[in-house]
Amino acid sequence: VLLAYRCAFASERVKATAIEANEFPQLSQELGVWAVPRVVVDGEPRWDGTVPEAEFLRRILAA
Amino acid sequence: MALLRDDEETKVREWFAELERPVELVVAVGPEETPRAGAREVDFGGEMIRLCDGLAELGERVTCRVEHEPDGFPRFPAVSIRPRGRDMGVRYDGLPWGYELGSLVGAVVEAGREEPSLRPESLAALEELDRDLAVDVFVTPT
Repeated sequence: VLLAYRCAFASERVKATAIEANEFPQLSQELGVWAVPRVVVDGEPRWDGTVPEAEFLRRILAA
Repeated sequence: MALLRDDEETKVREWFAELERPVELVVAVGPEETPRAGAREVDFGGEMIRLCDGLAELGERVTCRVEHEPDGFPRFPAVSIRPRGRDMGVRYDGLPWGYELGSLVGAVVEAGREEPSLRPESLAALEELDRDLAVDVFVTPT
């Protein structure tokens, strides 16, 4: 979560939201959230789990 | 019930005392989705206000205000973390309790920095971004 936040504070282009999966079960179900953290970029599920900063940047920029 | 243990509160006070710029927490409350079984009795909006008010008490540069059903918030409750009151698209949707309270505290600390804490190569990569990106991270409190 913090990496996403850091990117958003650093770039006008990036918006970052943490979403509490249990509180929004309908959305979580739509996006197939079974493991956390699940990272969704522009509405598309991308990956589960934490990754180092460089890899996080690589993955969101490639999305 | 206290938000934090005494030792945690001391640490958060120290971090918040070092903020280089003011940070505003805007709590958005409104109609809530029915959560999974077992959580129905929780007043999520009320707890969110209590939690963010509580954080604001730990640092002079941290403030909190509440808005009812503001535009642009698809889910309630939510909190927008704003350096100098400026909305930079950083939010937490739902109640950040338990372990996830650390994410909100971390967001306040990051918002309070004049310079981003990302590595220079990461900042360079972001500078080349020529489109908008929405990054959502699904979490749970445990």
